[in-house]
Amino acid sequence: MTSALATPVDRPARTRRPVVGTSTLTRGSGLALGIAMTWFSLLVLIPLAAIVATTAAGGWEQFWRIVTNDQTLAALRLTVGSALGVTALNVFMGTAIAWVLVRDRFWGKRILDVAIDIPFALPTIVAGLVLLALYGKGSPLGLEWANTEMSVRLALAFVTLPFIVRTVQPVLEELEHDVEEAAASLGAGRMTIFRRIILPSLVPAIAAGAALSFARAISEYGSLVLLSGNLPFKTEVVSVRVLSFIEGGNTAAAAALATVMLIVALVVIVAVDVISRRVARRG
Amino acid sequence: MSIDITGVNKLFGDFVALEDVNVSIPTGQLTALLGPSGGGKSTLLRIIAGLDTADTGTISIEGTDATKLPPQKRNVGFVFQHYAVFKHMTVAKNVAFGLEIRKKSKKEIAHRVDELLKLVHLSQFAHRLPSQLSGGQRQRMALARALAVEPTVLLLDEPFGALDAKVRKELREWLRRLHDEVNVTTVFVTHDQEEALEVADEIVVINDGRVEQIGSPDELYDEPANDFVMGFLGEVTSLNGNLIRPHDVDVTTAPTLAGAVQGEISRMLRIGFEVRVTVLTDDGQEVQVTMTRTHARALGLEEGQHVWLTAATGATTVPTMAAV
Repeated sequence: MTSALATPVDRPARTRRPVVGTSTLTRGSGLALGIAMTWFSLLVLIPLAAIVATTAAGGWEQFWRIVTNDQTLAALRLTVGSALGVTALNVFMGTAIAWVLVRDRFWGKRILDVAIDIPFALPTIVAGLVLLALYGKGSPLGLEWANTEMSVRLALAFVTLPFIVRTVQPVLEELEHDVEEAAASLGAGRMTIFRRIILPSLVPAIAAGAALSFARAISEYGSLVLLSGNLPFKTEVVSVRVLSFIEGGNTAAAAALATVMLIVALVVIVAVDVISRRVARRG
Repeated sequence: MSIDITGVNKLFGDFVALEDVNVSIPTGQLTALLGPSGGGKSTLLRIIAGLDTADTGTISIEGTDATKLPPQKRNVGFVFQHYAVFKHMTVAKNVAFGLEIRKKSKKEIAHRVDELLKLVHLSQFAHRLPSQLSGGQRQRMALARALAVEPTVLLLDEPFGALDAKVRKELREWLRRLHDEVNVTTVFVTHDQEEALEVADEIVVINDGRVEQIGSPDELYDEPANDFVMGFLGEVTSLNGNLIRPHDVDVTTAPTLAGAVQGEISRMLRIGFEVRVTVLTDDGQEVQVTMTRTHARALGLEEGQHVWLTAATGATTVPTMAAV
């Protein structure tokens, strides 16, 4: 490419140079892209396409009948509603925990810092057991939430706790302290500094964490099966519903519901991205 | 006096950052706090701004006691070495920040921002983000932001420290002109003696947490209070137990003056118009002498030659405290 200047004008090779959408790929990066795309296709794109294809094969009417089934709708409502609620809660709690971990000094901080990851690292069924022991029948806390909608929210909140903490924490650590000092010397109080200087820098991280948290919440299974009791119309979530479809041999219904969840996940992740761009630009 | 610093002490753990500092900074002037890194000058500046607090002592700004005031209430403009830009705001928004905090009208803010961006030559960049500016431009933006609130004093902490040599030189000349234009009492921290000598009306030399000397650039250069100030403001060499500037040493090729130190030229290094001569005296000391190429040629100096050294008439000398 560097020899382009020395190339005679009438060399035929020049006509092969793409004019629109010039690619910057070299042979090495082309190979890397190829490997990455093959791997991504095998793992993600082909299985997802297969689900959509299975759904499509059943036709629109069948899809609509499965999705608008009352029990399915109840499961969808519970799952998406709880996931949204828990994610909103995490936005506040996760940011607050990250703030405390970065800005404050207290005894046991290192331990807390490590312990944050436990809900994430724990096998989900173990998490379910822990929750059952605390909130099940004869709860030592006096909170018998087993087999109620609260149990679903609790389990989701438990497993999604680390996401926003872990995305916000490094960004908060990287924030330059002199920026806040500059704002202070210009007359901004602590609340104004947080709202106009710190928050806009955190928003992309909060959004990334929220997307992860939501994605994890709508797909959660292990931690809530024990505690929620999987009661149709009450505590049955989508993943449980999909499993019972499959166990009943109704693959088409399972695929249809999976497709719906695929769309929900896409919509929410795109929405989170759009919101974070908007907020980060304002300031 | 615009800023009065009285009896300020500051410890970080058991490190003495400032020790009984008393300085008065005159109104409307450009004052440099000069000293080596870690000497306490930045700490002093931050204490003036309220970003750090003194353990003991008082700060008064324009006659009001500011010792206990938070930074928000001191009405000082502060410019940081690493610009401290608000990354997510445009250049105009950055400059407008202090005015928005003060709840000025939209029209007034727009007018003032416009004016300031003109002052710092960034009008055409008003709608860019700071990341799209060069280091020098960012620092000019930071300066406009600090000036926007019409501060009583403008404090700059190594403002050109993160810039390359050429931009640094341009900006300090520009700062001098800007100061003559806006005339706000300005204090800047630097470890570069050339910068201080070129830009400042008054220089406060700070070392090891103590004020070594306060004076105009000429006073400091011509009448340094001690060997530290002498050594920090320019090159020094030692002749006959005195510190002296290398260009203030006269060289003769014959013993014409009484008290001249005899020695032998051990090394000559020519850099452009300048010749650096190292003379090894008979009592075993090395003396550095600089002179113009023309002068060296007129004397016919060469390595191994015997020469006699004396202090030039009117040369500044300071007794050596410790061996240099």
